[in-house]
Amino acid sequence: MRVAETSKHDGGTPATAATAPSVPAAVIPARKRRGANREGLEAGRRSTRTLLWTLLAAAMVLYGFPFLYLLFTSFKTPIDTIAVPPTILPREWTLENYANALGRNGVLASFINSIQTAIISTVLSLLLAVPAAYGITRYKTLSGRIFIMAALVTRMVPPVAIGIPLASMMAAVGLADTPIALSIAHTTISLPLSIWLMSSFFEAVPNDLEEAATVDGCSRLGALWRVVIPVVSGGIAVTAIFAFLASWNEFLFALLMTAIRSQTTPVVIANFQTQFGLDWGSMTALAAVYSIPVILLTLLLQRKIVAGMTLGAVKG
Amino acid sequence: MSTRTFTSRLALGGICTAVALAASACGAGGPANTSGGAGPSTVNVLVEAGGHAELTGVAEQCKKETGVSANFVELPYDGMFNRLSSEFSSGNVSFDVAALDSVWLPSFKNAVQPIDEIFTDEAKKDIFPALVKEANVDGHFIGLPAWTNAEIILYRKDLFEDAKNKADFKAKYGYDLAAPTTWKQYQDISAFFTRDGMYGTDVKGGVETEWLAHVLQAGSPMVLDANNNVVIDNAAHKEALDFYVGLAKAAPSGAAQVDWAAAQNLFNQGKTAMTRFWAHAYRQIPKDSPVAGKVGTAPMIAGPAGVGAVPGPWYLSVPKATKNTEAAKKFVKCAYDYNDKGIESSLGLASRISAFEKYQDKAGYESFKPLIETLTGKATATRPATEKWQQIVDTVLVPMLQKAVAGGDTATLLADAKKQIEDLLK
Repeated sequence: MRVAETSKHDGGTPATAATAPSVPAAVIPARKRRGANREGLEAGRRSTRTLLWTLLAAAMVLYGFPFLYLLFTSFKTPIDTIAVPPTILPREWTLENYANALGRNGVLASFINSIQTAIISTVLSLLLAVPAAYGITRYKTLSGRIFIMAALVTRMVPPVAIGIPLASMMAAVGLADTPIALSIAHTTISLPLSIWLMSSFFEAVPNDLEEAATVDGCSRLGALWRVVIPVVSGGIAVTAIFAFLASWNEFLFALLMTAIRSQTTPVVIANFQTQFGLDWGSMTALAAVYSIPVILLTLLLQRKIVAGMTLGAVKG
Repeated sequence: MSTRTFTSRLALGGICTAVALAASACGAGGPANTSGGAGPSTVNVLVEAGGHAELTGVAEQCKKETGVSANFVELPYDGMFNRLSSEFSSGNVSFDVAALDSVWLPSFKNAVQPIDEIFTDEAKKDIFPALVKEANVDGHFIGLPAWTNAEIILYRKDLFEDAKNKADFKAKYGYDLAAPTTWKQYQDISAFFTRDGMYGTDVKGGVETEWLAHVLQAGSPMVLDANNNVVIDNAAHKEALDFYVGLAKAAPSGAAQVDWAAAQNLFNQGKTAMTRFWAHAYRQIPKDSPVAGKVGTAPMIAGPAGVGAVPGPWYLSVPKATKNTEAAKKFVKCAYDYNDKGIESSLGLASRISAFEKYQDKAGYESFKPLIETLTGKATATRPATEKWQQIVDTVLVPMLQKAVAGGDTATLLADAKKQIEDLLK
């Protein structure tokens, strides 16, 4: 403690905190002690907050990097997109890729097809999953339990094994190359997950609520519609988002089942890779545009999603 | 908005949308009927995405001349084989004409119709001999080559014309620096330019056709002989593989992972002085590439058996299951008659010799003369007509090449490959 010694020799001037004489706590007035505690707490909170923000920023960079890289690539010139070693930011910014991608024949139609297919598939999933999950959770029968386990089996089968026969079946019933056919195919993917998700949301709703509604004169269906469904609306929103995303990004079934009338955008995006080369710029530009509706939808339903995720968390 | 209102609106909106769309049962792509026929004067043409551009000019001309219009169904290359298999096996096809990669012809030979009437004597003279042979399966022509390709030599003209490089090269090797015409020259030039962060050439461990071209030049049939015996372990294959692997000294590291895209990328970035590559790449060099305007072209180099390459054609075929045969055949005939229209597309390829010759002296088409010379080369031959070919490539040839360029013993690798291929063909 050379500093402290020097201070003492200089006449005891408290030059630094290190030189301050230690005073018994009882001697410090209570208000002063409380102030010091508060400052300490504040400093602790500040450092915790800084740490959390740093972690959050790091997580965002990690999660967001692939998308950001895709976004930056969409603004690169052709030679920049294939630079070795790759650059993150474009050396020269250009909108040419967007012009190429959006000017491609059939892109707008594919967007409309994607929207149609995703909406129909989402609605079908919800229409089937909500009553199924409600029945399973409320009636708790053995067959219900077997059914919910069996629903997962379809997720274990490779999609291509389902896709090829499904495509043939759709052609046989005259639904080939229609959004309806693709929506039904997509529902086979999203339905099991939707049933499982909705089951967990229904589980979180106490039976008492329905019983109270029936005491007030509601039928079972009335209680479901008027009381239970509004309570699980957040869960429905979450399920809808998952079902929508499953259809929105699905590629294999779309590849096998669509042609001129119903080709969706993931297939069009894949078309930028040909046997003769890969148009990175246009591909990333179209992929960036294609992700916008999903981002908007997620932001729009964000509050509902959070509500859905926390449903049942404070059941008491 | 209350939760209840939100739920009601969500459900109502969804149901209405679903009902409306279900009632229409129609996508945004238009009213074309794709289940088995598109009407008497419209044909649905299934193409790999790159092929659409090649056939657009043909389709426009065909509409004018014959009244047959075309709806194109574009699919990515990787998914096309699955789609074709699925539809051909179900007997319910959504297209009237399909552009088939040459390696798929043996697999789908029973699902497509003969189109012998297009292959007149005159037509046969105007199509590269290897392609005439490949289109003929079991005595019938089942596909019209719509466009074709082959590997030629692309080299950095600016580096080759540089006075210092010329003098240094002459001093070191005793002959003038110029586009290589022998494999010895190719090796020397590759070694010469491998310096200062640059490489003389690339070696592609991820693709098989380039090595197979060396096999043809060495005078052997590739992999299978005329009687379908596996000959992959003969002297020509060994010699070709040793030469191929030897070039790795003048190529970027990691050759096992280099495929077409990587090799094209390296050349366009200015990292390699020469590449053996499909001819279309000449016209696809980006304008902002450091090598744009500085690239020269030369035919594939001859081995003891002459110039040899593996052509990469696509064939237009008419499925047996189509209900629109007449219009489909008219479209295929148009593709022959107006074959040169493909040259004006971004890919810039055709299949008729006369079409390439029409453009060979025009600026921007400098790759055509070497391409014609390569495609008519004495040793040029198409891949063996076996439906197992793609499987042989994916499971045997490419893994073997990757091991070879990584330093494996070539004789052992070829012997193993022979056994594996024989097992596959059993």
